[in-house]
Amino acid sequence: MAGKSGRTISIEPKKGKFFRWETGLIFIFIAVMIFGTIVSPSFNIKSVFMNMPKYLAEMFMMYAMGYILIIAEIDISVGAIVCLAATMACFANNAGLPFGLQVIICIGIGTLCGILNGAILTHFTELPSMIVTLGTQIIFRGIAEVSMGSGGSISLTDTKAYAALGGSIGIVPIAFILIIVTALIFIFVLSKTTAGRKLYAIGSNHTTALYSGIKVQKVRMICFVLIGTMAGVCALFLLATSFGANTTTGQGFEMDVISMCVFGGIATTGGKGNLVGATIAGFTIVLLKIVLSLLNVSGQTILVVIGILLIVSVLIPSINQALTNKKKKAALAKA
Amino acid sequence: MEEKKSLWKRITGSREASLVLILVVMLILVECIQYFGGNGHFLSPTNIGQIFRNNALTMLMALGMLCVLLTAGIDISITSTLAFAGMIVGMLQKNDVCHNTFLLFLIAALIGLACGFLNGLIIAKGHIAPIIVTMGFMYIWRGLAYVVSGNQWASGADVAQFAEFGKDGSAGPYIILIAAYVIFFIVLKWTTYGRRIYAVGSNMEAASVSGINVDKILVSVYMIMGLLAGLSGALSVSIYASAQPNMQYGKEMDVIAACVIGGVSMNGGRGSVVGTFLGALFYAVLAKALPLVGLDSIWQNLIKGIVVLAVVLINTLTQRAMDRAALERREM
Repeated sequence: MAGKSGRTISIEPKKGKFFRWETGLIFIFIAVMIFGTIVSPSFNIKSVFMNMPKYLAEMFMMYAMGYILIIAEIDISVGAIVCLAATMACFANNAGLPFGLQVIICIGIGTLCGILNGAILTHFTELPSMIVTLGTQIIFRGIAEVSMGSGGSISLTDTKAYAALGGSIGIVPIAFILIIVTALIFIFVLSKTTAGRKLYAIGSNHTTALYSGIKVQKVRMICFVLIGTMAGVCALFLLATSFGANTTTGQGFEMDVISMCVFGGIATTGGKGNLVGATIAGFTIVLLKIVLSLLNVSGQTILVVIGILLIVSVLIPSINQALTNKKKKAALAKA
Repeated sequence: MEEKKSLWKRITGSREASLVLILVVMLILVECIQYFGGNGHFLSPTNIGQIFRNNALTMLMALGMLCVLLTAGIDISITSTLAFAGMIVGMLQKNDVCHNTFLLFLIAALIGLACGFLNGLIIAKGHIAPIIVTMGFMYIWRGLAYVVSGNQWASGADVAQFAEFGKDGSAGPYIILIAAYVIFFIVLKWTTYGRRIYAVGSNMEAASVSGINVDKILVSVYMIMGLLAGLSGALSVSIYASAQPNMQYGKEMDVIAACVIGGVSMNGGRGSVVGTFLGALFYAVLAKALPLVGLDSIWQNLIKGIVVLAVVLINTLTQRAMDRAALERREM
């Protein structure tokens, strides 16, 4: 759509504004927490942490997806990459390889998938990333399906190391600690380094970024490899709670991750949003899932809630924009 | 310098013609393997009927997706709409509220229409990326399908009468398919409305300036998509004689892939009903042929994915070559 040229490169919303997206998100987060304590007697910090690892794995990919969305690309193959990486890790496990090697295989497969996506996209720059990752999505899941054979599932034989990975230090799950570390690194790179600023520049205006000397294709390649790697990490932590993979592993993850980012204020048109918002949004959704599961609400009902949150969250800025435009027009008419 | 294009150039130049060529080659190949392997004809009426029946949903929804893609949009909520409409149709029968086949189809279509209207309204009036809006509704309708179902399925006995319409050998699904393709072919090619869709997709601002109500076209396109998705919901219940809240999960990508193979551009303004039909047919024949030539069904997705990617990449390469040739001709 039009109007892309008029965008300024800035991650900070205008100061002094009454409503900041992140503030709103924090309110929603607190509201979910209050809702949880009211409706469920078993809702406390311990039960939350205990249930958390199951839902946290997706969040590893969220940060890389944030980068991808900021440069105005999209990757819908991540769910399939998770499936493939988890399958291969299971094979490595069943072959009796040492745990370290399994980790390398799992993350390595993810990285390889990312490299494939990136290589196609940087060599065929005229293709939209949606189409390419749509194709590779079917391929990655196809490879996993073929290697799993007719049974369609595979499980770990030696679960000891994975169980430790899914465990916790004190009451804090290892996955949670790692998520926080990942979040800090990704947020720092995005908002405090030149590399991060380059992402915004590319997302805001691809051509301008190219002419101002940014190696656009290199950055795109790095982003796609990065999300592949993070998908491998996600697969690892998924195995730590599920101890196996099947043909539907990771199905719909891409949409979950994208919706977390969008709910966190990142625009899919690129150049807008930051990962602080996405982090809060991600944890809000995780918390919501935990609360609903403690309430024994069927897992599917939460889809309605997430969907409504998503639509409302994208509608609010748009309505806001429409209102300011109206005011501006009125002011212009007066003058 | 006018010169007649050679036949070869004309075939490779047109997406539809090259798809027909590939399809024919593939059909002959499979037919040969089948026939000389002593397994009878591949192109028997039963097989052809099954190809269309098994892929009726994809083929039907590909038409709506074509319209959406023509306006440079995308709709990934379709299979959720399908599940929602289909589940309601299933539950209406399970609870013995309604058993009239026509009425049930009408209800499903109307539900789909309403879902599509919501999509279109938010996309057109809110100026929000279509993928985000439809992703939101993808969750909502799928979740509501589960809520409506109350963790129950409508199974064969509940929908017995309704399933008569879509059962093997019944003409029902074929009639719907043929009617839909004829209508869409005429509308997109020869009516003002159809041309307006192309105009909006090619250049939205130009279309707006030349007096086309862009918002109206956008909303209508998503309504068409919703209508077809709703219809497919009823059709799915009828063909498979069951309604489950998770039906056709993730199949929206198949629909998009069929369109992409058929030469529909995701940047809008490019694509045709014939191309979409050929793309969907190609996909369908592939699915049917793979098991017959000795590849297990677990290989299907891998081959499908490679085909989609190969088609897209080859298309880009030919486009590049064509652009270069055009440039050279101009420089002469």
